[in-house]
Amino acid sequence: MTAVAVRPRWSPPPNLRLVGRRLLMVVPIILGVSILTFWVLDLIPGNAAQQLLGPEATPEQLRALELELGLDRPAVLRYLDWLGGAVTGDLGTSLVNGQSVTGLIAERMAVTAELVALAFVVSLGLAVPVALLAAYRPNRLFDRVSMLVSITGLSVANYVLALLLVLLFAVELTLFPAIGFVPLSQGVAANLHSLALPAAAIAFPLFCFYTRFLRGDLVDQLQGEDYITTARAKGIGPWQVLLRHAFRNSAFGLITVVGLNLGTLLGGTVIVEQIFALPGMGQLMLQAINTRDATVVQGCVVVFAVVAVLANLAADLLYAVLDPRIRYGSR
Amino acid sequence: MRRRTHAVPLLLAALLLLAACGGGGRAAGPAAPTGPPQRGGEITVLENASFAGGWPTGLDPATNTTGGANIAQMSAIYGGLFRLQAADDGSGAQVVPHQAEGYELLDGGTTVRIKVRDGIRFTDGTPFDAEAVAFNFRRAVDSPCTCSPTWPLAENGITTDGPRTVVLRFTRPFAAVINAFPATNVNWIASPTAVQQMGEEQFALKPVAAGPFKVVSNQLSSQLVLERNPEYFKEGLPYLDRLTFQSIGGDQPAYQALLAGQAQAYEGLNTTPLLDQAQEAGRITVTVQPPTSPYVVQLNTQRAPFDDQRAREAIYHATDFSAISQGLFRGRYPVSQSFTGPGGLFHHETVAGYPAHDPARARQLVAELGGLTVRLGTLKGYVAEQVMTALQTQWQEAGITVQIESYELSTLIQEFRSGEWDSMLQTAGAWDPAAGVGVAFRFSSSSPFTGVKDPELDTMLNTAAATLDPAEREKLYVDAGRYISEHAYAPFGLAFAPANLATEGVYGPGLTTKIPPIVVNTGVLWDEVWRAPR
Repeated sequence: MTAVAVRPRWSPPPNLRLVGRRLLMVVPIILGVSILTFWVLDLIPGNAAQQLLGPEATPEQLRALELELGLDRPAVLRYLDWLGGAVTGDLGTSLVNGQSVTGLIAERMAVTAELVALAFVVSLGLAVPVALLAAYRPNRLFDRVSMLVSITGLSVANYVLALLLVLLFAVELTLFPAIGFVPLSQGVAANLHSLALPAAAIAFPLFCFYTRFLRGDLVDQLQGEDYITTARAKGIGPWQVLLRHAFRNSAFGLITVVGLNLGTLLGGTVIVEQIFALPGMGQLMLQAINTRDATVVQGCVVVFAVVAVLANLAADLLYAVLDPRIRYGSR
Repeated sequence: MRRRTHAVPLLLAALLLLAACGGGGRAAGPAAPTGPPQRGGEITVLENASFAGGWPTGLDPATNTTGGANIAQMSAIYGGLFRLQAADDGSGAQVVPHQAEGYELLDGGTTVRIKVRDGIRFTDGTPFDAEAVAFNFRRAVDSPCTCSPTWPLAENGITTDGPRTVVLRFTRPFAAVINAFPATNVNWIASPTAVQQMGEEQFALKPVAAGPFKVVSNQLSSQLVLERNPEYFKEGLPYLDRLTFQSIGGDQPAYQALLAGQAQAYEGLNTTPLLDQAQEAGRITVTVQPPTSPYVVQLNTQRAPFDDQRAREAIYHATDFSAISQGLFRGRYPVSQSFTGPGGLFHHETVAGYPAHDPARARQLVAELGGLTVRLGTLKGYVAEQVMTALQTQWQEAGITVQIESYELSTLIQEFRSGEWDSMLQTAGAWDPAAGVGVAFRFSSSSPFTGVKDPELDTMLNTAAATLDPAEREKLYVDAGRYISEHAYAPFGLAFAPANLATEGVYGPGLTTKIPPIVVNTGVLWDEVWRAPR
């Protein structure tokens, strides 16, 4: 009997399978989001033709423009048309000014992306050390002060905070500009200077939330988990227990929260960009909503949704990086 | 140790106190200019994103849809054939030729001859002549903008007579034609060559004209950067080298940006508490314009309950606009009983026989009707919503059940179109009652935004709009005002006009002196705006 060498079938590494599976999941999610957005936009009274023609338009003028923009067609057909373009990367043209939606988004996305990235870096960069210090000695002065700041920060609305920051740092202290955006091409320092207050307005509530969340999780770990007791019994110092054991475990929760936050955060930029007159996605979307520019709104929402889904995927992958024992997809 | 924990709440309290003070407290106002206008410098003008700060369809007068809101940007780029000028206190306002040299109304007002100033060139070097103006007129009348003129044009009604004269021929006399120019897109003349060479889409982004400023960059509804037009027809003007329009998300951020020195002017402030604060703070010049457009409570006479005159009279008697003006706005906004404010043409504060505030009579009428339930709506906005809430209280005191609602513009349009509304608090009137959102917009049977269908009133308004003699026009409008009051079609209220703010060292007509708003915002004369050297 001749032994037949069976070549094992190649199977992708578990994490790669996860990425593939999750990327496939993006499709129905985005489809769902786009359908929902289209449906909601269709329900809102008024359309782009009415906005374009204004209050004095005659019914004949209105009908003619609706015909020209294709707004007389059933919503399903209009959606399918849009979808047909979207799958090829063409998000259509603005109903209001005929510009390419993809181009408009690309132009504005850089501002919003930078704003959000800056807010994340600042909020996480501050929240982690503050939470660690607070959890190191719970219920002591530093812990209480940090919790008070966190609670206060969480109870102040974004736009109120933005106005307070402008008042203090732009009007009274004249340290930062109150409005406007300087692109990176004009220098990193000038760019960061122009984004300082808007990023702070977004970062501060996030910082408060992350601090509170991480500090709570760390305290729970330190006070109730057996592995902490074991580590302490081995004679490991309190800082090492906190950093190498408790923080490592708590980081999972934090990563999940950060991933989930991104969607909310993008929403938060709408108001902040408006207050600070930043030419970002938030401003674009608000203008599009006001003018009932359905294709632009649709494009923005889809881009936001894609970013949010991808951020969640990145968070999941980070789990595996932090803890090699985690093997997604292994059976 | 315990004491130190109070530091955070104290800091927060201090921050909130600072916010409440709003940087105010300085008693002295900005100094008046100490010398003649200076040339040079640049300013940034803020415009509210929800109105003048939105130009989503670009800045071509023939294709944009928000030109009525963007008079500031359009005037800075295009200049204008005519413009509204006034004395520094806003009195004596009149429409005067600008890029036009003059005009004639002939054949009883059915023919208009407009003579274009000699020697003007567009910034692309092509001539600003009668053909160019006619080309623009033809494009503008077909525009989808509400700023498009409502000319009763005869067939082939736009022609030229020689290189400098444009002739308009109407089917009926239209006396208000010239007064309406500064609020309509026919006032802004684009370079026909540039339109044809660039194509409409590109032209809308970077228009070419012959106004005081040229477009440097334009990010739609965000930022428009302009620079001096060195070929501007007025020698020595404009004063400024650079002018930037920046869209901003409302009165409060705009005010703070001015205080922070990031901008030098803001057009159209209407948040009254902020206006008080700005005036008291004294760091900013606050110019409240002479109001032209009073609020009016439109009553839908096409359906119940206001198809019954007794219900309409009940509203008149239940309404006390003087109390609202005093109580809510410290008397800043005058009350008018007719369709123009003190800054408008043919203004009369009172109307003979106007139904007075009389809650007892209102209650009696409500009892006769067996009760009165109404819905009152308005367009979202600080002053309008404050007035609407006050009206609800007054009407409820007279036994009327009132449900109030604030609308976005598109929803408001839907409501009007559906015809299923009871009452709407709106502004009525323009500087000239026959122009723009004038009296016909609110009271003519043919307007979708009227609650009235009355052929007799239509005739009165059409005759007044057609009459050339100003004295005769005034008499006709007085009669129309009395007629509206006799039929209790719509009680008029306080005449509101937004304010313009300018930081220290910035001066200009309409910005630091008064000009009545031709429609909503004042038409600032940008070529004459200047900045004192620091």
